[in-house]
Amino acid sequence: MSAHTVSMRDALYEEPGPKTRRRTRIVTAVSLVLVAVGVGFVVRQFYITGQLDAKYWSFFLRPSTWLYIAGGFLGTLRVAAVAGAIALVLGILLMLARTSGVKPLAAIARVITDFFRGVPSLLLIYFFYLALPQYGLRISAFWMITLPVALAASGVLAEVFRAGVNAVPRGQTEAALSIGLTPGKTMIKIVLPQALRIVVPSLISQLVVVVKDTTVAYVVSYPDLMQNARVLITNNDALVQVYFVVAILYVLVNFAINQLSIYMARRSGNPIISRATENPT
Amino acid sequence: MDYAGLFAAYGDKYLLAVFETLSMTAVCFAIAMVLSVLITVMRVSPIKPLRLVGDLYVQVFRNIPGVALLIIVAYALPYLKVTLPWKTCVEVAVVLLASAFGSENFMTGINAIGVGQIEAARSIGLTFTQTMTKIVIPQALRSAVLPMTNLLIATMLTTALGSQVPLNPQELTGLVSYITTRETAIGILPFTVSAVVYAGFSVLMGLAGNAIDKRVRVIR
Amino acid sequence: MPTQTPVIEMRHVDKHYGPLHVLQDINLSVDKGEVVVLIGPSGSGKSTLCRTINRLETIDSGEILIEGEPLPQEGKQLAQMRAEIGMVFQSFNLFAHKTILDNVTLGPREVLKTPKDVAEREAMELLARVGVEAQAHKVPAQLSGGQQQRVAIARSLAMHPKAMLFDEPTSALDPEMINEVLEVMVELAREGMTMVVVTHEMNFARRVSNRVVFMADGQIVEEGTPDEFFDHPKSLRAKDFLDSIRGH
Repeated sequence: MSAHTVSMRDALYEEPGPKTRRRTRIVTAVSLVLVAVGVGFVVRQFYITGQLDAKYWSFFLRPSTWLYIAGGFLGTLRVAAVAGAIALVLGILLMLARTSGVKPLAAIARVITDFFRGVPSLLLIYFFYLALPQYGLRISAFWMITLPVALAASGVLAEVFRAGVNAVPRGQTEAALSIGLTPGKTMIKIVLPQALRIVVPSLISQLVVVVKDTTVAYVVSYPDLMQNARVLITNNDALVQVYFVVAILYVLVNFAINQLSIYMARRSGNPIISRATENPT
Repeated sequence: MDYAGLFAAYGDKYLLAVFETLSMTAVCFAIAMVLSVLITVMRVSPIKPLRLVGDLYVQVFRNIPGVALLIIVAYALPYLKVTLPWKTCVEVAVVLLASAFGSENFMTGINAIGVGQIEAARSIGLTFTQTMTKIVIPQALRSAVLPMTNLLIATMLTTALGSQVPLNPQELTGLVSYITTRETAIGILPFTVSAVVYAGFSVLMGLAGNAIDKRVRVIR
Repeated sequence: MPTQTPVIEMRHVDKHYGPLHVLQDINLSVDKGEVVVLIGPSGSGKSTLCRTINRLETIDSGEILIEGEPLPQEGKQLAQMRAEIGMVFQSFNLFAHKTILDNVTLGPREVLKTPKDVAEREAMELLARVGVEAQAHKVPAQLSGGQQQRVAIARSLAMHPKAMLFDEPTSALDPEMINEVLEVMVELAREGMTMVVVTHEMNFARRVSNRVVFMADGQIVEEGTPDEFFDHPKSLRAKDFLDSIRGH
């Protein structure tokens, strides 16, 4: 074993010889120029269309602008938190039903799980926004955005929990059964608590999906970050700038959540189970 | 209105919508795959600026909400003298998102190979190109089958972004919004039809992906 | 009698990992048909030394010569040289997506441009020689560690190497599988293969090697015939090391 560990990305290329080093230097220089030209082109496009003018940016110096953005962000957090909590509970219930061993119950849970994973969250939002009111069901804008986001997430979470339960060593179940716990008690007292610990990094990474889904809140006019951005745009006539700033905020928040989940995964040694890593359907 | 009535009035629109959703999915996924390969090559290259750009690309597009990206492409870019047709806007947004995740899938596939096999390839005298084409790429592709199947499904679901801009013909989600707004007593019918089509194709894609994976999976 | 050019020669080789001086002024030459065993405590630099010989690790200064020619630093020449020196790793490193047969034929077909049927015939002979011909159409993960390591040896042999490097070939194996791999190596040595072996298998070293090189802290502390080394170690470090492995 060599004394240092190399990442795969570095391992693909071996330690360069003199010729390779020279070639790498040249290509690096060329690519740097290309990247600079690309960035320059974008900046130029902003400049010649007048989008860099101070009038489009100056309102970002006003505290009221940021208060408003913060207010929207709070709305986003509220929806994400409540939707996440609901999805957590629903996800566990769906997983318990699916792994219950009761055939019809498991089948129903499977259909529900697959359904929510196989349908766009936007469609679910239209269900709550357009279809339900036709039956006289009136719910507030908050729930119109929160419920569909929660449902969409619950399908994925059910699968994450199932993977977590499967990751608990079988010996744990056998030991619990052998000391006389019922299968139900074994699940609740022994397996589930361990599974929950295993999926913590995965749950955090799923939060990114929830945050992303909340951005459709403007469809139902709920004041989240995106909706408040639209109001800012109308007030300041600065569409490009506001969306630019808001997009960066979303990217930073989600990036932070992702990094946190990677950190937790590394610390605990439990891998991140995402849609990408499990079997489809 | 019942299903018969719904199909009598909107059947042809539904057919078009299914075709629209599927064709957008196919086009976007194909372009996203090509782009993922390019981005991944940049990210594993020894050229620092390219690595940086590739990493940045992935971080931005895997973290930006689809709606925000679409709105920027469709409504902000025209201010910068870049005006695209509505459908292209949707496709650009979907491709950018999907390619970021696609590159992540490839990176995971490459990471699973392990340094040892690369060293073994080198030590029997394979050149860099041979090591890539005979050892690295085949294994990365095989282990990407499942994640890419999921990405295909996700791409299809992401084309629902098309409901946020005026498309003609509409895709499955936009059509639901269109019908439900016009027919005030239609209830959940249009919603169910679209949902079943989406879920049905998701399951089909999943089955196909699983079948392919079973045949090509690299046992470790 | 004119001295023959050594197959492998290292002159004043130095290497650092950051602040760590992992190879210090290494001078070593291996003649044709010689079996040299590198032993020493872990972290002594013996694996690193072995890996510098086909440039899986680079060196900071000094020279490495293969049959009198300097070790190429890159490109086709480096690949060419590597093809002539076999390498067997601690963790086998078989190509996970290829069958056992394809693992062995890949090198000959891609590098030596051997026709498919010839490569396969030779591969089957080699697999038979190491006793895994029955597994030819399985993939590596279906084989035991000992079988995988024997395939790895066959994969190297298929390139008709001038010399072979073994980097702790039995360290990752379950005890009951160590012997099956060692036997293949003993056989190779008998047939006159030039070998550099990093190992903790003292019996193998004693029985098979022409020379034992003892390393500690990146330096070659002493070298000699197995009998000299095991029965009358000159240095205190070597005595301590031998005591520690005999102690249990």
